[in-house]
Parts: sequence; C-alpha cells; structure tokens
Amino acid sequence: MTTKDKSAGVSRRQFLSSATAGVAAAALTKPAAAQEGSDQAGAQFAAITPPSAAAEAMEYDVPAGYSAEEAKEYFVRHPGSDFMLDVIKDLELPFITTNPGSSFRGLHESIVNYGGNSQPELLTCPHEEQAIAMAHGYAKVAGGKPIGVLVHGTVGLQHASMAMYNAWCDRVPMVVLGGNHFDATERRSGVEWSHSAQDAARVVRDFTKWDDAPMSLQHFSESMARAYKIATTPPMGPVVVIIDGHLQEADMGSETPTIPGVAPTVPPQGGAAALEEAARWLVEAESPVIVVDLMAHDQDGVDRLIELAEALQAPVVNQAGRMNFPNSHYLSQGSGVVAQADVILGLELYDTWGLLNTLRDRVHRDEQRVARPDARVIDIGVKDLFIKSNYQSFQRYHASDLSIAGDAQETLPSLTEEVRQQMSRARRASNSEREQRWRAAHAQTRARDLDAARYGWGASPVSTARLYMELWQLVKDRDWALVSNDSLQSRWARRLWTIDRHYQHIGRAGGAGLGYGAPSAVGAALAHRAHGRLAINVQRDGDLMYVPGILWTAAHHEIPLLSVTHNNRGYHQEFMHLQRMAARRQRGIDGSSRVGNELDHPAIDFAKVAAGMGVWSEGPITDPNDIRPALIRALDVVDQGEPALVDVICQPR
Amino acid sequence: MLVRPCTVTFALSGVFLLLCLEGALAQDTDQATSDGRALFIANQCWQCHGYEGQGGAAVRIAPTLYPFEAFARLVRHTNLMPAYSPNVLSDEQLRQIYEYVRSVPEPPALEDIPELSGS
Repeated sequence: MTTKDKSAGVSRRQFLSSATAGVAAAALTKPAAAQEGSDQAGAQFAAITPPSAAAEAMEYDVPAGYSAEEAKEYFVRHPGSDFMLDVIKDLELPFITTNPGSSFRGLHESIVNYGGNSQPELLTCPHEEQAIAMAHGYAKVAGGKPIGVLVHGTVGLQHASMAMYNAWCDRVPMVVLGGNHFDATERRSGVEWSHSAQDAARVVRDFTKWDDAPMSLQHFSESMARAYKIATTPPMGPVVVIIDGHLQEADMGSETPTIPGVAPTVPPQGGAAALEEAARWLVEAESPVIVVDLMAHDQDGVDRLIELAEALQAPVVNQAGRMNFPNSHYLSQGSGVVAQADVILGLELYDTWGLLNTLRDRVHRDEQRVARPDARVIDIGVKDLFIKSNYQSFQRYHASDLSIAGDAQETLPSLTEEVRQQMSRARRASNSEREQRWRAAHAQTRARDLDAARYGWGASPVSTARLYMELWQLVKDRDWALVSNDSLQSRWARRLWTIDRHYQHIGRAGGAGLGYGAPSAVGAALAHRAHGRLAINVQRDGDLMYVPGILWTAAHHEIPLLSVTHNNRGYHQEFMHLQRMAARRQRGIDGSSRVGNELDHPAIDFAKVAAGMGVWSEGPITDPNDIRPALIRALDVVDQGEPALVDVICQPR
Repeated sequence: MLVRPCTVTFALSGVFLLLCLEGALAQDTDQATSDGRALFIANQCWQCHGYEGQGGAAVRIAPTLYPFEAFARLVRHTNLMPAYSPNVLSDEQLRQIYEYVRSVPEPPALEDIPELSGS
C-alpha cells in the first residue's frame, strides 16, 4: 500500500478552491474550498502553499513540441472527474472499495493523482461482491457512517447485487458509484457497449433506497449530496449514482458547478401522544418484555436501552441484528420470556409476526401462537417509513396494537422519560423484587450455558464452544471486537463471552446471502483499525469459499484481522434441509446427504489458500489442544498490523 | 466344612463361565455401541446433535437420561426434528443408536475445565 504525501499532492485547482477565492470560486454556493469541514482538514489546507509558476506551467501551458490545437486533442486541463472527487471529498467518505473498471477510469485517475489517494483512499477488491460487503461491515462499526464503492454500472453492479441485497435487508448505508457510457455515439466498439446500459441501476433498484444517473456535473454534485443524505437517514440503506464516462473524462471548460453540501436529516422520533400511551401500557403491565433487533446505531443506543429496561425492570431479548444490549446485564434474557409477556415492546423488529408466532416446518405448515393470546404489542421502528414491493424481506404482516413510526434509538429517551413520570410509587417499589427475579434467571442461564459447553470439550472435530473459549482466554483482557456472526455457531460467543460494548458484536448479514462474512469482517476490521481494536472473525468455510480473494485485500492493505475458521467442511444448514426432506419422504439419508452439500473430498486447506493470498496462516487443526498455541502465534502477527488465519476443523455447530 | 474336589471344580467352572459371560456381554455391549455409533453417523444424527451428541443446531442427546421409549418417541413422533419412521430406521437400529448415546461418557466436571470454571 502506498500513500502519497498530502502536502505534495495539492494541485493548482485545489489551491484555487481553498485559498484564493477567485471569481469562479466566489460563485460557488459551497466552494470546493470549504469541502473539508474538519479541523484537521482545515489545518491541512491552511498549510498549502501556492503552486509554483513551473507547476502552473506544467498543468496549463501547452507542452513543448505541441501546437495549441494538438494539445487540445491530447490533453485535458480540468477533467470532470476532478470535480466529482471534490464532491466525494465534501462527503468525507474515508475509503472507496473498488474492482477497477474502464467505465470509471477517469474518476479512478482523479482519486489516485488529483486526490493523492487519501480521503478517500481506494481499496482494491478482487470482486465487487467483496467491495460491497466490505462497505457493509465498515458502516456497521462506524455508527452508520458510510464509505463509497466504485464499480462498473453493468457487470460490476451485477456482481455486486447479492451483497447490496444484504445491505438493504440489514439497513446499512453505502454510496455506490457505477460507471456507464450514456451517449451511444461516444462509445467505442466492443466493451464500452457491453458495459453500458440505458438504466444501469435498474438491476439493483429493488433493493436500494435511491439511485440517479446525473447528466451534468452540477447534477452529479446535487445527486451525491441527496444520495448521502438518503442513505444515512433511517431506515438506512444503499444508494447508487451512475457516473457517465464522458462526464468524467471531458474538460469542464468554463463550467463552475457548485457543491451544495449535506444537511444531515435528524432521525424521526415517535409522536409524543403515542409514547405516552406506550409508557402507560408498559408501566401497567405485569410482565413487560422488550425485544430488540436492528436498533442500536452506536453505544448511545445501548445505553438508552439499559435506562429504559432498568426503569421498568423489564427483560430484554436481543435478537442481535445489532449489538443492542449487554449480555452480561441481568435483564438480558432468552426468547422464552416472550411467551409470558402481557405487553411486548418491539424495537426495530425485523419480523414482528415471527416473534409472536411460529410456522412449523412440516408437511402441512401450521402456525402456532408463541406469545400469550392477550399480549399487547407496541412496535417502534422505521420499517413502515420505507418499503419496496418485490423482494419479501419485510416479512409477514402483523397488526400491532400500537405501531409507532420513528427511529427507536432516537425515540428511547422520550419513552423512558414518560415511563418514569407515569410510574407509581407502588410500581416502583415492585422493581426490587423484579430485579432479584431477573438476576436469578440470568445467573441460571449463565450456569446452564457453561455446563453445556462441557459436552464435547475434548472432541475432534473441535467443539464450537471449545473454539470460542480458547479464543476468549486470549482476547478477554484486550480491546476486542467480534466482526462475525455466531448465529450459526450455536451463539457460543453470546452465550460464553462478555459482550458489553456496541462495537463488540457486528450482528447478522441481513439477507442471509453467503459471501458476506469474510469481506464484511475485513471492512469492520478496517473501521476498528482506526481505534486500535483487535478484530476477530470466526469464519464459516462455505462463506469464505464465495469470496476468498478478500484475504488478499486484507493483506494488501494491511488490515489487521484474526480469522479463525469454523470449518465444518460443508454447507451444514443444507445438510439438515436435505435430511428433513429425506426423512419426510421416508427415503433415508444414509450416504446421500453429502451430495451437493459437502465441501470435502478434497478437503479445502484454508491455511494454504490464505498463504497464497499473502496472509499468515496455520492449520488445519483437529486437536483442540493445538488451538491456543496457534492462536497465540496468529495474534503476534495481527499485533504487527497484518491479517492472520487459523484453520480449525469443527463440529457442525 | 469339608469341600469335595468335585465341588471345587464345579465352583471354579461357574466362576469361569461367569467371567466368560461377562466378557461376552462386554463384547456385545461394545459391538452394540460401535454399531450404534456407525448408525448415528450414517443417519446424520450428528448434523444437528454433534458428533458426540453434545448438541448444536438441536439439543444435547448424549449421554442421554431418557428411557428408550421416550427416546424413540422423540425420534419418531416429535415435530422438533424430522420424523424417522421404521421404514428408514428400524426399531433395532434405533435401539443401537440409543445404546451409543447412552454410552457416551460424561465430560469433565466444570471445575476441572479452567476455561469454563474461571469464566
């Protein structure tokens, strides 16, 4: 990875934009001069010295040996993509992930030369799906602050589409730029035609919040500001801006487009009257239960939920689309408490119906109510504020008793205040007994989980509980973050580790599309790198086989990440589905379950795969006693700022 | 008491037979356990319950405390897992699997696993 010296990379145009406020600059609503809003950036620009006469001559004069007419044919003074980069810088996107492509070669060159490949820095991904999933993981750690992704508008977006669907389902923002060639008469034969489309963003429109295809630089500037604003306003999601090749490469001439800047949208809160009603139900309830899923954007969300839960002494069921609530808190309880609740408060639920009911997987699918028939449901969230028709990620309809539109994290302080105001002295007095009850239940669950981890402790393949506890011994006293989801690993991290901070668990993929885990972990590790945290990825083998190239990206860009494979040598979920079908049809499963499901024969040597990508690695490990020494060696590598991978052959879950 | 040689011979024979019987029973048990594990693997019980029956996607089943009848009912008639009918898993095979999961030894106590007892 190379990074250019910022001070040496400032061009005449940047200088004009930032320091001299000439005629053109004065015409800007928000000149490129003001693009860097931070103090750091301000200091950087304050230190800029005017370009020398020689430098100006290099940039603007006709080079020696060329006529003025020749120079016009050969050279461009002010490519449109330089202005595009000014706009991108104004949005303060720190990184842009990309797989290089000719349809955005103009912007590519502007980023690396005009912008010095800094703020944003380009990160090379061997596949667009990885580029998107990296952005997904980054934004989840960065509190919803997105990075950019640069892809072909045609073949690139098609590669990217699966990962974008995950981000859509997971309500994660990112700004995707897709190269295209609008003007058919300007396209070269061959690739520029097959890499162009009338409506390039159409392929991903079903699962993006917004897209546009600007026809001028001013249009681009305004669309980028709008795109950023839309992407980062709850419910967040990916946006796409198609960038024309001609617009990138043509000289701006005398055009003086402006940068409007982004005025962030304050997230919507639930209405006061509705919150008053919700608080009344919660205070009057005998057994209120809080269920939370895609809520916490950052630690504030966690802290606010703790305040509400403690005010009510109500248990919290964390469905873990985000890290919403500390698992060590005594009010953190299992989903079984839902069945006892008379009032259920749902916060940013992905699936309200599925919380209250179940549809059994049998020949004739019948539904059963899990919650009490008389349980009242309060739903607070943004899911009704933006929805699309085709993909069914919105889940089955449920008529909640009180449905409040608003960002739950933003709404919680008002709701908690209402709860405190409405709570009677007698109700408050009952809190002590409730607290004792939930403390006992929490302790029992903890004891059960530890006891369950004993079983298979010495087994080979390695028990998943053992794998997590070997890791825990080495990381528990460090500033760590788990950047993978343990849902398909029997939730052992959440059952055995102490997860107290928002950044310590990344949640799930969203659309359950494979190929998310490894690149999102690298993206998350990139965000954690800025804080010096140890990023840990318990990596599923099937997921890594989709996108092994991301290991190279981590090595190339020196992104420290400890990856430990949970290698069960197959698509384990599918094994079980095939087993269910075979049993249902009374055909038996003996010998047939591996067909189409196994990742074995030959067994994949992930240590060799990683080594081939430039990543330090060790394995395969089958003896549980060999895990910890290998992890210690891997951590030494990660502590040097490099990725490392340890391949462990594990039990299925 | 006077013990006649034939009595001694008879008694020794009895002990020998008993030892042989115990050995045969142990062999039978080992064989049943071994057969049960083979069936446990072949019928993919481990996919949900783990190779040691320790649990995973589904509950822990080893070492089991259920009587065979309850175990069989869970395999044949519950909605918690795919129903394995006698057409794909005979009663005898099911019994062998049961013998296997019953034979799985208890893991170390919690206090003997520092990683868990210290948490």
